[in-house]
This record gives sequence, C-alpha cells and structure tokens, in this order.
Amino acid sequence: MSTNKIVLAVVGGLVVLVAGITALVVFLGGGTTDDVEAPPETRPVAISGARLPQGSTSTPDPAAGMLVPTVTGSDFDGDTVTIAPDDGRPKLLLFVAHWCPHCQEEAPEVQQWVNGGNLPEAVDLIAISTSVSRVRDNYPPSTWLASVGWNSPVLVDDDESSVAQAFGLEAFPYWVFVDGEGRVVGRAAGRLPMDTIDAVARGLATP
Amino acid sequence: MTLTQFNLLFALLALVALAAGIGVFVAAPFIRRSPPARQALARLAVPLAWLVAAASMAGSLYYSEVAGFTPCTLCWYQRIAMYPLVVVLAVAAVRGDRRTARWSGAPLALIGWGIAAYHYTLQTFPSLSGAACSPTVPCSFRWVSEFGFVSIPFMALSGFTAIAALLIVGAEES
Repeated sequence: MSTNKIVLAVVGGLVVLVAGITALVVFLGGGTTDDVEAPPETRPVAISGARLPQGSTSTPDPAAGMLVPTVTGSDFDGDTVTIAPDDGRPKLLLFVAHWCPHCQEEAPEVQQWVNGGNLPEAVDLIAISTSVSRVRDNYPPSTWLASVGWNSPVLVDDDESSVAQAFGLEAFPYWVFVDGEGRVVGRAAGRLPMDTIDAVARGLATP
Repeated sequence: MTLTQFNLLFALLALVALAAGIGVFVAAPFIRRSPPARQALARLAVPLAWLVAAASMAGSLYYSEVAGFTPCTLCWYQRIAMYPLVVVLAVAAVRGDRRTARWSGAPLALIGWGIAAYHYTLQTFPSLSGAACSPTVPCSFRWVSEFGFVSIPFMALSGFTAIAALLIVGAEES
C-alpha cells in the first residue's frame, strides 16, 4: 500500500470514528438526565448561638469547652432534625460531603461500627450532609448515604453550607464531639480510625 | 448537548486516544520496518498530535468555563503542559518541522503524562493524599466518573499518551 493510501485510510477512519462517536452520544447519550427534577438535597436550617471558630487542628482547639450552636433543620425526607446543646445528650457530629472520597470511605466504616452495636445508647450520632453540589461526583447524597445503609439521623445543610460554617468546618470528613452539657470536647478534620471514634464515644457516654 | 453527553463524548474520545497511543507504541517496530507506513505516520504525526492537544484544551476549557468545574492544583499543572502544545504543534505542523515538534512537544507531553498519572493515582487511592478533603477542590475527588474509571485526569493521561506516541514514534527523523 502506498503512503498516500495509508494517510487517506487513517484520516478517513478517524473522521468516521469521531463522527460515529459524536452521533452515538447525541442520539443515545441520555441527554435528558440533566433536566430531571430531583428532590431537594439541601434544605433551610435555623441556627442560633455562638459559632465555633476554625482551628480544629490547633492545640488546644479554640472551640474546646464552647457551647455548640443550636441547629434546627430536616433530613432528606423533610422530617425535623435538631442539634440541641441543652438536650442533655452527648453527640458525635459527622460532617460529610458526598463528593469527598475520604467521606465515601469513612461513612460505611462508621455504619459498620454502628451495626456492630458499638454506639453507646447514651450517645447520639448525627450526620450533617453539607457542601452539596449537583455537578460533583457521587450526587445525590441521599442516595449515597442510603447505599451505605446509614440509619442514624441526617441533618441536611442549606445551599450556603451554613451549619458547616457555624461549626468551623475546615476539611472533610469533619467530626465534632459534644458532651452532655452541649460543650465541645474535641473536633477533628479528616478520617479518624474507628478505635479512636469508639474510644471517644465511650468516653462521652461515661459521665 | 448536555453535560452528561459531553462527559460521555470526552470519555469515549479519551479511550480512542489512549488506544491509539498505545497502538502506535506497540506497532513502532513494525512501522519502522515498513517505509510507506513510516512515511504516512511521519506526515500525520504532528497534525494528529495537534488535534489531540486542541481537543484536550477545548475539553478542559469546557469543563472549567461552561460546566463550572473549578480546576484543582494538579489540573492546573496538566494545563500548563497541554496548552503550549497546541501552539507549538500548530507552528510545527504549518512549518512541517517534525524535529521541533518532537524535541519540544514530547518533553511537555511526558511531563504532563507523569502529572496526570499521579493525579489519577490520587483519585484511585485517596488515602495517598492524606485523610481529608479540602472544602474547595481537593485533587483526590472526581468531577467526572464515566464507566466507573474515566475521570478528567484519565482523559488528560490518554491525551498525553497519544501525543507522546505520535511525537516519539511518528515524528522521529528518518
């Protein structure tokens, strides 16, 4: 085969291939999925009380001993979820972003820990779904958390991630540990080993 | 076209580019032994490499400027390698200067390939990037995940593979 014939064959083949792929995508590419009306993945929240400062990685944590803000919002189904510092119950608050790969690894591990009966009855575990972005990976968070079997309350943050800001979030996943008086015992940005979470939970459960 | 369709289109084009790049590298010994094939690839290498670079640049600009995906730090480093290729290879193609295309384009493509490979590794194994995501744009998260494995750095990796193959094998001096 001559050089010219090879060049023509390659160029022609590429043109046909690219045109075919484009046609395939346009006609069969599921173009309507972007326009589907989905249930809300962010919801209004009401926050009162002093906001926690950033600095969760500092020693000592500037928020240690502070009362956490009171938050009233709802879960993915619209049922009310409250973070109340005055309800007398210690809390593990886990802030997650659906697109964060570390949250995607942390949530199933925590759920497995809960399934193992390790969460003390005296302690509440609440996930806060925040920083939601429709164009980011692993959307929507409701489907993701359902897929990992998450069965603890989920508070859905608003479009501005107001709850995350009120708790001084600096990175995902983000933990805030609250004692029975509603005061911050500790905070952590990033994944934590399950034995650390287990130890904190048991510590919170012991008055 | 919707974002979903663009994702699919770019993913398929990336797979074609990756297959072509690997194919050129694998077929290099046979191409060198066949004068018509060698001459044909020599004529096509620089324009095709430019086409891949231009399509890659268009794709990255679509994602950042139209879809609104903020580039992370490693995305910017890959852009630094890819965007100059569009100009360098266009000039080389117009001048018929394979030598310049090869010796200035291939190093850029190989540097970009290394960054894209590292970026894709971070996405595949997020624990390598630490244990936390920044609230803005961590390099370990995926804006796009077609077929479960084609992300934006994978697309860049495919583009750099094709460009490097065309310039190293196709644009070598006879």
